[in-house]
Amino acid sequence: MTAFLALLRRDLLVASRNAIPMVMATLTQPILVVLVFGNILPRLNLVAPEFRTVMVPGLMSITMMMAGVQGVLMPLVIDLSGSREVDERILAPISVLGVAFEKVVAGAIHAGLAGLLALPAMMLLMHRVGGVSVHPSWWALLPLIVVCGLLSAAFGLSLGTLVQPRFSGLLFAVVLGPLMLFGCAYYPWTGLSVLGVFQYVFLVNPLVFMSEAMRLAVTPDVPHMPVPLMLGGILGFTVVFTVFGARSFERKTIL
Amino acid sequence: MSLLVVEDLVKTYPGRRRTPPVEAVRGISFTVEAGEFFGLLGPNGAGKSTTLGCLNTLVRPTRGRILLDGVDLTRNPLEAKRKIAVVPQTRNLDRDLTVREVLTFHGRYFGLPAAERESRADRLLAELQIAEKAGAKPLTLSGGQQQRLMIARALMHDPKIVLLDEPTTGLDPQARRLLWETLGSLHRRGLTFILTTHYMEEADRLCQRLAIVDHGRILTLDTPAALKKGLPGGQILDLWLKAKAPLAPRLSGLQGVMKIEPVAVDGDGEGTERLRLFVDRTDGLLDRVLHALRDAGADLQHVSLTPPSLEDVYIHLTGKELRE
Repeated sequence: MTAFLALLRRDLLVASRNAIPMVMATLTQPILVVLVFGNILPRLNLVAPEFRTVMVPGLMSITMMMAGVQGVLMPLVIDLSGSREVDERILAPISVLGVAFEKVVAGAIHAGLAGLLALPAMMLLMHRVGGVSVHPSWWALLPLIVVCGLLSAAFGLSLGTLVQPRFSGLLFAVVLGPLMLFGCAYYPWTGLSVLGVFQYVFLVNPLVFMSEAMRLAVTPDVPHMPVPLMLGGILGFTVVFTVFGARSFERKTIL
Repeated sequence: MSLLVVEDLVKTYPGRRRTPPVEAVRGISFTVEAGEFFGLLGPNGAGKSTTLGCLNTLVRPTRGRILLDGVDLTRNPLEAKRKIAVVPQTRNLDRDLTVREVLTFHGRYFGLPAAERESRADRLLAELQIAEKAGAKPLTLSGGQQQRLMIARALMHDPKIVLLDEPTTGLDPQARRLLWETLGSLHRRGLTFILTTHYMEEADRLCQRLAIVDHGRILTLDTPAALKKGLPGGQILDLWLKAKAPLAPRLSGLQGVMKIEPVAVDGDGEGTERLRLFVDRTDGLLDRVLHALRDAGADLQHVSLTPPSLEDVYIHLTGKELRE
């Protein structure tokens, strides 16, 4: 446990030193989307005003997913590169799975803070335009942010150990791009009933559950997925990605 | 009981679709006593680093047993890791921390209390002559300084044994000599070291006992002095020549020639052979050898007469030069 906390402390210290670029990387996407879809397009009458309310939780979940994945993936690419910085961690008195889980926790903290930062930033940008109905219920939001953060970071661990470092750029285009478009960020999952059974195909995407969780927590007026399905999805994906990621991390580090 | 016991260590890396399995270590056994400086000498690919990897828990042995200070490494790696320190072949310093933080965080990982962490970091920075770089990032240090920082980091948690994997590879001669002095003085204070190297001079200078490794096996294991003494004759006479007929039969009968071995010559020495004569230096020896060569019509190109070195031991055992 001492080694676990020491590793976490190291990661948080290094992250805090890179705070400004990290905040920029985190907030650029939601701010620009809000400017275009929350401000310009509604004024041109090209999207319905309700869209503003719908996209707020979705953008929170996208922000968290990106932050969690990047928070684990980027350091992991350096760790597993030719210089093998990861060995310093593996040689500490902690199990390899412990090292992997520490990465997930550090990434989850990163993701959670990103989500909490994105919400006020978006509200600030839209406070002059009407029709935004965002009422966070904190008792639901905080625990959901924790589990969604863990899911994002565990996903980052799986991707980071699965994909060779030189393909990490491709990863963002081929995996994370589609994930975001089909992640129910810009439309509620319940509305997809118009697609018939295809509604359920969306459930292979972990981001769907995160978007719906944020929807439950910050926009009570918009209908959301049944809570058991939502929690089951988040916890299920978190467990699967953590176990898979940790195993594959062990295979990459111990020969 | 020995500090480290390695019994019949085997490591086979599993094959993939297009690559066959690699038997990197094929049954290595040795022991290391507390306070000893032990060396594994061999060419690249001999299995030195894999052996060291098994000792530091980063490589899982296929078979065999490793006991460190009574702790079974494969059964209880967490306990063992506290007793081991590693100075790896590649420089793996944490690039996001400062030099001093590299040490203090290493101390934190091993649960050192704050006061001890700080004082030990200061002492090691001074001792390894990197104190003036304490606030710098590791990647801004020279190769020699980075190497010394890795040694300081290894010593932070007060290990029982320090594993050095080719520590001077890539260093300039001056930095190498400084590192040898540092390692020597740490050893005199009672630290136990295992070193892998393919530098003969390094092995000769630092190691009290030496295992010569090739193709995953230990060829011989003794003190450097005893290894050299084990060669036939007191001197080595090397001949580089071009010959029409085999020379060994003509030379082997000469007085003072104890043994003859051909040595593989690589590169562009077209038609050139290298013959190694283990000789007792008696009067007229060179004269007799030169006569015999002239009679055989051999074209002698180069001669050297030297006392035996570790390199000669290596050539004697493997029949080839150890390329650096």
